[in-house]
Amino acid sequence: MDTSQYLDIFLDESKEHLQNLSDQIMDLEQNPENMDTINEIFRAAHSLKGMAGTMGYKRMQTLTHDMENVFSEVRNGTFKVQPGMIDILFKSLDALEEYVDNIQQTTEEGTNDNQNLIDALNSILKNNGEIKPLDSAASEGQASENQAAGAADGENAKQAKWQEIKISDTERMLIEKATNEALKVYGITVYVEEACLLKAARAFLVFKALDRLGEVIVSNPTAQDIEDEKFELTFSLIFISESPMDEVMAAVKSVSEIDEVYCAEYVLPAAKTSEQSTAAEEKEEEKTEQETKPVTASSVPQPTASAAASGNNKPAAPAAASKGTAKPVVNRTVRVDIEKLDNLMNLVSELIIAKNSLVAATDAEGKGDKNAVNEQIEYLESVTTNLHESVMKVRMVPIESVVAKFPRMIRDLSKKLDKKMELYMTGEDTELDRTVVDEIGDPLMHMLRNSADHGLEPNDVRVANGKPEVGSIFLDAYQDGNNVVIEVRDDGGGINVEAVRQKAIERGTVTPEQAETMTDKEVIDLLFLPSFSTAKKVSDVSGRGVGLDVVKSKIESLSGEVEVKNSFGEGSSWIIRLPLTLAIIQALMVVVGDEKYAIALGSIQTIEDVSPEDIKLVQAKEVIHIRGTVIPIIRLNRVLDIPPRENESQNLTVIIVKKGDKQAGLVVDELIGQQEVVIKSMGKYIKVPKMISGATILGNGDVALILDTNALI
Amino acid sequence: MDEVKVVDEQKRNEILNRHVELDATQFIVIQLGDEQYGIDIKYISNIIRMSKITRVPKVSDYIVGVINVRGVVIPTISLRLKMGLAEDEITKKTRIIILTLEQHESIGVLVDEVKEVVTLDEEHVERMGYEKDERERFLSGVGKTEGRLISLLDITSVLADVMET
Repeated sequence: MDTSQYLDIFLDESKEHLQNLSDQIMDLEQNPENMDTINEIFRAAHSLKGMAGTMGYKRMQTLTHDMENVFSEVRNGTFKVQPGMIDILFKSLDALEEYVDNIQQTTEEGTNDNQNLIDALNSILKNNGEIKPLDSAASEGQASENQAAGAADGENAKQAKWQEIKISDTERMLIEKATNEALKVYGITVYVEEACLLKAARAFLVFKALDRLGEVIVSNPTAQDIEDEKFELTFSLIFISESPMDEVMAAVKSVSEIDEVYCAEYVLPAAKTSEQSTAAEEKEEEKTEQETKPVTASSVPQPTASAAASGNNKPAAPAAASKGTAKPVVNRTVRVDIEKLDNLMNLVSELIIAKNSLVAATDAEGKGDKNAVNEQIEYLESVTTNLHESVMKVRMVPIESVVAKFPRMIRDLSKKLDKKMELYMTGEDTELDRTVVDEIGDPLMHMLRNSADHGLEPNDVRVANGKPEVGSIFLDAYQDGNNVVIEVRDDGGGINVEAVRQKAIERGTVTPEQAETMTDKEVIDLLFLPSFSTAKKVSDVSGRGVGLDVVKSKIESLSGEVEVKNSFGEGSSWIIRLPLTLAIIQALMVVVGDEKYAIALGSIQTIEDVSPEDIKLVQAKEVIHIRGTVIPIIRLNRVLDIPPRENESQNLTVIIVKKGDKQAGLVVDELIGQQEVVIKSMGKYIKVPKMISGATILGNGDVALILDTNALI
Repeated sequence: MDEVKVVDEQKRNEILNRHVELDATQFIVIQLGDEQYGIDIKYISNIIRMSKITRVPKVSDYIVGVINVRGVVIPTISLRLKMGLAEDEITKKTRIIILTLEQHESIGVLVDEVKEVVTLDEEHVERMGYEKDERERFLSGVGKTEGRLISLLDITSVLADVMET
């Protein structure tokens, strides 16, 4: 049966189920007795198994089947959930995710049987819930690389990483052919010395030495990655040769700066082929081997496994995360091609322009049956507004789809960093434009890692400082006017401004004199510069000096902004502010000089009529006093280089706008009124100043610029 | 069999190439001050009459603003200012030429007048050497037609310059 047309649906639903499983297992860790959770897990695993089976993904089906078996027993009350079991379950989830990622990229599930996980799951069943810990090789491979060994065996597996190499059918064929031809197949794992500077060069020499003796058929990482030095201190390969093992070992060891070499005869992992030949002893060599080597390691498509662990850009569809004991509610989702939505959006834009033209036309004519026209316009207006809103809503998705994976991430980080911490999330149902939601996952993840790694102090320090031992990280999302605010907060040590200042001087980012005069806020802003990391030690969680600048540029590319609130000793909070909508906004049209400008209604607080005498000077800057607050005045004609109008003596019209908790008063000459405006890009040929966020087309066909009040404040 | 095909292919390409070489380029001739310039017709997507230009603050002075062309906001530059001539005088003959490069982004160019379309063979075009002075920076060559000389604008370098500044 051709199932390819169902692939998209399969992928979407699998991700949904996997996220659901992950949530539920997290929950199970907290409440091992909760029957609802167990039932939900059982159901999700069961659906996943069914889907994988239908699509013909046998390995995935087998693994899910064994997971399901365990839950079936838990559900029947044969045994209870234990902490060790949770770990195995999470690892199984990672493995399943890897299958799904492989399928997404290549439509094949990959060749990893994950036998160790299956064994572990079966042993739970056999021993009635008693946990036999995963053997070291398996856990190592799973946790760090997500690349489990085909059949890991016991104690030397940790060194003999070549057993983790996944082999494709072509390679399997090659190996079988070689063994049939009485050549020897070796698995080799090479450890480069830690101090080695040119790892790639050493690896190259190893490959070269081996090339003289035989043929490297596959390596892990791939030859390309090794060449690019994309490996830690070790690499593994499978090698066909006629030479005895000690000769091969000697060849590898002849390369300097090689720490250790592990070599053994390679045995094909148990698979469909029954003729599992052991390497023959006699050395009847056949020269044909040279011709029959169509596959070199670099050309072998290696399923990439990195995507599984983190940075998964593909949005998981909104997951049905049932919390507590309530009956789980599954989100009914409709998947719509985003292109179709964009098209619809454009049509709506046109419609609004048409409506505006109609308004302009009737205003100018001033004749005919005006009432009837007005009625029609009002009707048209209500239609377009509704249409706009509903289209926007289709595009809006709850941020839940990205934040749902964070509790699991924090759990893992907590173990990895050996710090006790807890993540509290609110406002997961806050909705944002789909395109924005797809993009914020990585920045948010980075900030959470930052909080976990740098923000929170080690547990003993916390206790010494009189804080609760378990650190808290908060992720709060909420809507604020036309913006959505996502706040990542921790109750850790906060940013040590002095340390940052010192670091900046050390690095030469600023001179000591400059540093002296910088405010705390300016110092904190330094953190967003490229390659500026204050972490005292680099960990693989954070602190490589790439990150915050990337976070900032990503958020800014979404027309958002990042703000930091810091309280040394009590924690810091990172506030991301993102626009709710991208294409159509409600705006106030104003006139400055003889030019028309649009100001987003969402940022406007009030409009004030101010007499010129009420404007005071504070530090040579104009301010006004309104209801107890002092608000700086920005004269738009000066900012926009427009000659002022003559009648200065009259009262000024001041629009009070806000950005976060800051305010400013914009002086304009006239107000035209409220209007829905379609934001148009101004093209890439001109670099518009920051205070102009775009342009829009008015009813009479003229172009008006949209002011970004955030950039003015 | 295969060889015959290859030969055919080669012949075909030769013929095609010769054809392309012989094929002349069409230019739209515009008036800018006292001089006439030619713009390769393949870059021109539209020529419109002067319409309301909205000024954009804080940009280079040769960028006169943005215009609305059928619902698309297009930035517009003054070719006079870009070429170091005096500021434009808007007359009835003033036109905005909409240029579109491969990337589908358009830009408007303000010119004094659009004259005609001329067809120039490669042999009637004198290419510019590498040494170009400031005025010739944006020229790709000079074309001769009916005893007139037409400076041919190198649109890609004009627009590249706009992008940079």
